Amino acid sequence: MRNAYLNYAGKRLLQAAVVVLLAYVFTFLVVSILPGDPITNVLHDPQNAFTMAQIQEIIEAQGLNDPVALQLWHALSGFVTGDLGLSMRSSRPVATLISEVLPSTLILASSALAVALVLAGLIAYGSQFLPRRFGQGFVRSLPSLFLSVPTFVIGLVLIHLFGFQLGLFMVIDPNSFWATVFASIALGIPISAQIAEVLVANLDNESAQEYAAVARARGLRQTPLFFRHFLKPSALPVVTVVALMVGEVLGGALITETVFGRTGIGNLVQRSVVTQDLPVLQAVVSLAAMVFVLVNLIADLVYPLLDPRVKILGATAVRSSASTSDTASPTVTV
Amino acid sequence: MASQDRLKTPLLRVEGLSVSYGPNQVVRDVSFELGRGKSLALIGESGSGKSTIARAVLRLLPARGHATGRVEFDGQEVLSLPERHFRSLRGRSVGFVPQDPGNALNPVRTIGVQAQEAAALLDEPNHAVRKALILDVFAQVGLDNPQRVYDSYPHQLSGGMLQRVLIGLAVLPRPALLVADEPTSALDVTIQKRILDLLSQLQADLGISLLLITHDLAIAAERTDALVVLKGGVVQEAGRTAEVFASPSTAYARKLYADVPSLNPNRYAALRDPGLKRADDAAAPKIEFSGITKTFTVDGRTLTAVDNVSFTVPAGTTHALVGESGSGKTTAIRLLMGLDQPDQGHITVAGLTLSDRTPTTLREAWRHLQLVYQNPFTSLDPTWKVESLVREPLDRFRIGTPAERNDRVREALASVGLAEHLLSRKPAALSGGQRQRVAIARALVLKPDVIVLDEPTSALDVSVQADIVEVLLSLQAKLGLTYVFVSHDLALVRQLAHSVSVMHRGRIVEHGRVADIFDNPREAYTRALLEAIPSGIGARVRPVTSAQISTRIEEVA
Repeated sequence: MRNAYLNYAGKRLLQAAVVVLLAYVFTFLVVSILPGDPITNVLHDPQNAFTMAQIQEIIEAQGLNDPVALQLWHALSGFVTGDLGLSMRSSRPVATLISEVLPSTLILASSALAVALVLAGLIAYGSQFLPRRFGQGFVRSLPSLFLSVPTFVIGLVLIHLFGFQLGLFMVIDPNSFWATVFASIALGIPISAQIAEVLVANLDNESAQEYAAVARARGLRQTPLFFRHFLKPSALPVVTVVALMVGEVLGGALITETVFGRTGIGNLVQRSVVTQDLPVLQAVVSLAAMVFVLVNLIADLVYPLLDPRVKILGATAVRSSASTSDTASPTVTV
Repeated sequence: MASQDRLKTPLLRVEGLSVSYGPNQVVRDVSFELGRGKSLALIGESGSGKSTIARAVLRLLPARGHATGRVEFDGQEVLSLPERHFRSLRGRSVGFVPQDPGNALNPVRTIGVQAQEAAALLDEPNHAVRKALILDVFAQVGLDNPQRVYDSYPHQLSGGMLQRVLIGLAVLPRPALLVADEPTSALDVTIQKRILDLLSQLQADLGISLLLITHDLAIAAERTDALVVLKGGVVQEAGRTAEVFASPSTAYARKLYADVPSLNPNRYAALRDPGLKRADDAAAPKIEFSGITKTFTVDGRTLTAVDNVSFTVPAGTTHALVGESGSGKTTAIRLLMGLDQPDQGHITVAGLTLSDRTPTTLREAWRHLQLVYQNPFTSLDPTWKVESLVREPLDRFRIGTPAERNDRVREALASVGLAEHLLSRKPAALSGGQRQRVAIARALVLKPDVIVLDEPTSALDVSVQADIVEVLLSLQAKLGLTYVFVSHDLALVRQLAHSVSVMHRGRIVEHGRVADIFDNPREAYTRALLEAIPSGIGARVRPVTSAQISTRIEEVA
């Protein structure tokens, strides 16, 4: 069993590496066939005031005249060894640029996720425990409300209320503690909606299961039923949902950073898109792919540890359906 | 003196109980009494309200359900009791054994953790002592390795073991009343007997009262003192089990009696016996299954699922494959259908060799060979209409013009006794029996020679089962069909099959004509299967002490 698990983890790690490399190649090719020429855009920009000799030197140094295949080879071998190249705009190493802004984005994304999980948990608790006639309906309608308001609207409302009206944080200091808190809330609210929807639906489903009735007949109260019996099986799909939403969290982080004026990956991407700073874009896209693949890998590896019914078979985790009758139950691949 | 009075009142008294879901009243004015240490069966088919009554007594009705009337437990009205007062009775005084043990425990928590919840009712502060008590009760209900069971997750145990766990947890806090809602309907016949024996034993040893919900009159007759027969939520007949069983006074109770296969082995003799002549004429068998072996590799170990199995089936007869779960009967029919290929041996059906076929050449064979699956609740696509479901095989094999196909669909439906207005229904709007008829019509529509029936009635009530058996037998008499009938229920096999192979651990331990096997079983395994059939006769198999016998005589008198 233990061996099978390590074997599985190894295989999945290898697959993840292949996916990241393919993502890198794919972005490289897409960028290279896009209209627009970095040479004209950046080097011939009169603001930069490069001389023709300087331009020629840069073109030579960066290998911009080489065939695409050769450029790809250089970029790829650089990527594998950790060398992401130089930024077109500032001529600084891309790795440095990213490492300067990455912590800020990671803080925002992870605290937004924490906000989302807490909010989803509260909604889920309310959906089960508030009186049916008062409050439960309202709490249950919150996820669709949260989903229908865009992040930037929530962000603007929060800035207006807490920044300008109540003066809780300085709008001009977007990386301060309170600014970070409210940015996380803005980003966390729509994410919490999706987690809460899954959680509430699963809780309803679990509490209608036969084992719930049997546990109730055993004298269990509603609260231990919720925390001991329903929460864990209901939270299992949340692992999958959160892993799938990494893309959304990152995308949302870019918008939130723009709205709150924070430095971060979003800010970097925005500037790089405007100036067609390809090495930076390339690195950011690969980084996003890596995060996405990594988080999903973690989710898949965590799943068998949380749900004893998930078996590792060869290179895939197989989850048997909720029914465990004597006949062979259908299996679902995670 | 007061306690004397208390002991005279029945443990459970239900008076004028009605239950409704919204505007639908599903239980109407039901009354009965259950004495201390006695047992009572609520019996009826699906939809008779018997489980609803059990849930009402346990106060486990879904939120939409509303119960009126009186339910007195130990002299105390419990229907109107606030939940926090009733909770002190749950588990401690009233235990519950559910229908499907596979769904009755939380799948992501260990048995031990859930057992500790039941043990929490024991007023025993020490965790280690509680665990010892749990292991004791597991041993008491016949679980061989209590510690292993304690550490297991539910999916790691078989249905029979899980039901033992659930019974153990229900009796652990020593309740006065045990409510068992069809505790064996999801289990094999042999396991069923062991579970029912266990319930009877515990009831006698611990002096527990048993409220048993069942659709099988034979089980009720074997296991209970009193009987309440329900139909459509209304009591049809009630009284001492022996009396109701010996002379049912209502038509419905008589029908329930007639539908139990073990009580009426020759009910379909007129339809079945013509096939016996054909069974003797073994010149040109329709199915030849010779020397078949199939092994699987599971976790590196080789498992022989079917071990050198041979049988032949003459045209127009029914051959039964009988055995418990895991005996290899399902693998045998998968091989027969060509869904798996045998490692060794040779299969012929209607003159066509089935072994060594590719998926394309298998299609030819399937025109002659159809399968009716065990569970009609999962074998029909819920989004399709009956008409499309039955018509699909014709479309796939491109048989006839569209108009001819429509005619054949109607013909097939008529032959299984389904009215034409059901054509536009979807499976959800059909009863279990109607669904299985649709599944049979779907198999029939290609006019096959052979139909493989994989426990076609095991998901159905006894009374619905009788309908399906009748449909199958009259189709055989009319069309000369050859059946391979897979079942763990020997009583049913006796009613409809001509020859039988008894399978155990992948081998055929005994085979021959049904009458011979039933009258002179040579193998111990066959005898065990036969003894497991609830007969209703020689009622009360439970062991009783003399003291209990005397109190019982008093109470009955």
